[in-house]
Amino acid sequence: MKEIEMRSARVLLVDDEVTFTVNMSKILSRRGYDVTAVNDGESAIRTIEDEEYDVVVLDLRMPGMDGMATLKVMKRKRPLLEVIILTGHGSVESGILGMHIGAFDYAMKPIQIGELQEKINQAFERKLMREGKGP
Amino acid sequence: MNQKLAISTDSHQHSGDLRKMSYSGLYRRFILLTLICSVLPLLLVGWVIYLNYSKFASSRMVDSFQRRVEYNRRIVELFLKERSSDLQLVAFTHSVDYLGEHSNLKRVFDILNRQDAYFMDLGLMNEHGKHVAYVGPYDLMEFDYSVTFWFKELQAKGVYVSDMFMGYRKTPHFIIAIRWSDGGKNWILRATIDTEFLASLIRNIKIGESGEVFMLNGEGVYQTNPQFGGKIMEKSPFPMQTFDRESGVQVLEARQIGIDQIYPSQVIGYAWLKEPQWVLVVKQDYAEAFRDVNHANTSALIFLHVSILAILIVSFITTQHMIKAIKKRDEEAEQLSRQLMQTSKLASLGELAAGVAHEINNPLAIILTENQIIRDVSEDYPDVNSEFKAEMFDSLTQIDDQVQRCNHITHNLLRFARRSEAVTEMVDLNACLQEVVELLEKRGKSSGVEFVTDLQKDLPRVLTDPSQFQQVFVNLAANAIDAHDGKPYGTIRVSTRVNDKNRGVEIRIADTGSGMPREILDKIFDPFFTTKPVGRGTGLGLSISYNIIKELGGVISVQSEVGKGTEFKIFLPFRSSEDLRKSSEDIHERN
Repeated sequence: MKEIEMRSARVLLVDDEVTFTVNMSKILSRRGYDVTAVNDGESAIRTIEDEEYDVVVLDLRMPGMDGMATLKVMKRKRPLLEVIILTGHGSVESGILGMHIGAFDYAMKPIQIGELQEKINQAFERKLMREGKGP
Repeated sequence: MNQKLAISTDSHQHSGDLRKMSYSGLYRRFILLTLICSVLPLLLVGWVIYLNYSKFASSRMVDSFQRRVEYNRRIVELFLKERSSDLQLVAFTHSVDYLGEHSNLKRVFDILNRQDAYFMDLGLMNEHGKHVAYVGPYDLMEFDYSVTFWFKELQAKGVYVSDMFMGYRKTPHFIIAIRWSDGGKNWILRATIDTEFLASLIRNIKIGESGEVFMLNGEGVYQTNPQFGGKIMEKSPFPMQTFDRESGVQVLEARQIGIDQIYPSQVIGYAWLKEPQWVLVVKQDYAEAFRDVNHANTSALIFLHVSILAILIVSFITTQHMIKAIKKRDEEAEQLSRQLMQTSKLASLGELAAGVAHEINNPLAIILTENQIIRDVSEDYPDVNSEFKAEMFDSLTQIDDQVQRCNHITHNLLRFARRSEAVTEMVDLNACLQEVVELLEKRGKSSGVEFVTDLQKDLPRVLTDPSQFQQVFVNLAANAIDAHDGKPYGTIRVSTRVNDKNRGVEIRIADTGSGMPREILDKIFDPFFTTKPVGRGTGLGLSISYNIIKELGGVISVQSEVGKGTEFKIFLPFRSSEDLRKSSEDIHERN
């Protein structure tokens, strides 16, 4: 476990609200995460193809490729990548649907930082565990 | 939003008025159609038959009068002729010398009167009007007849029948006289006829109750005693111009007959005798003569009008029945369309709410992050004025709180709009209700409201979402408690029953609260509609309940009476999990 804590989680923020991603990047970076932010689904796919990430925080409603579609592609390309769905829609339904596709968890906007941090940590832990167990 | 709803309700009422008007229009049209198609032809045919029959009957009546008059005239004429013949027979078969003997004349007189005593007296006169012989009750031997009015006429005619007259005897009578010559001299045989005989000939003919036969002379003087009004030798009230032809039948109006006598209208048949100039009159009250005809006609008309009345009544009833059926169907259709409108209204509103919530949630999220950044950055500057810092953190906390509040609102909105997959299981509704009742009992007690449960034992479990169902029940029960504001005490009755007909469970929540008028009742399921003071209700509770029950496949309905209370009825169907999956898939497809 100590080994795990030494490596900081690489987090990718995907949200069409630039201000939100910028702010969230600042906050999460400050808390020791390695944060990258993009503002649409296509860029998110490109980014995870280029670099290795642990946790993606994905907004469901975006112009162009929406969160669900992005999630599907991500899961196909990087099955081990953990995705937390962030939805402004507030519906449990879409969150659950996302989890069926393979999301780790879902959270509703507006989210308290502490809550999000907790979810990211859990996702990261699971990622590490699965990597450890995996081939 | 409220204003918009109010307007739509107004137009509803307006269309209702229009429809009411069109119902009465429809009613009128149906009745008119019935009138035109059945009553009018019937009336037409009836009246045509009536008129034709009346014409036919009156011509029959005229005929029968004509025949009767004709018949009577013949009798009278025959009688007079016979009497004349009697005298002629006497004159031609006996010599004057023989007849001049009183005893012989008496013998002849007796022979003449042997069968019937027609003749009152019999006299033989010479050409100077002096009696040669006379048989009869009066002593007339000395009278000089040459000055009488008939004497001259007899000289001209040879046979003479007089009018009724008083003559020397002061009783009405008439005479028959013949003149013949014997031995170069003119002789006259004169007989007085008993008026009674002539009268009895025609009097015996009875015509109904008011009918009679009498005779008038050329001046309209009675020649026989009429049965009604008047006497022999008196002037009759009938104007003589009535009898202006040889014979005929006429109807005399009451006013055409003498003023001094109150005669009803009369049917009069008349015929003139050839000799003397008398008119034989058969008359009968018009009313009686046409009584049978009128009776038949009246019955026919009564029958006609009764059948028309029957048709009218039947058509009124059937039309009313029909209109009622149409009205009922219209109302059902209207209710259905109202429900559809309610549903679509809620659906579109739901989408709007979801959109708004989502759009607000994003800026809220940003505000939260900004808040966090300020907190984070302030940690980098520990030497900042502590007072300022405290103030700032207060503000930040306040911002946090307010964001949370907004968050709460948007979540409520979203909950209203949500179409989440129901977590369904086989639920014991009784237990479910009991839990909530226990929860709310305390609150009720403080308002003086008591819960009464009437739950059916062994109620079958229903496949549904228990928490959503409970949410609905909490909403309804809370409203029921609030409905008792201003009342010192009350009861809320919760009952469950299996509804066999609809194959489901019926839950009733009846309160004894203030109740609601119809205008409010129409709107209670509309979102944001509330009767509670500002800040106490969001106006979403019943709207959400409505949606939840709908999604659970049930029906919620309400009945209320102002001052007496309100009853909500929830129907939840027994469903298989198969049905549920299907409906939830539908929801997914919709999304």
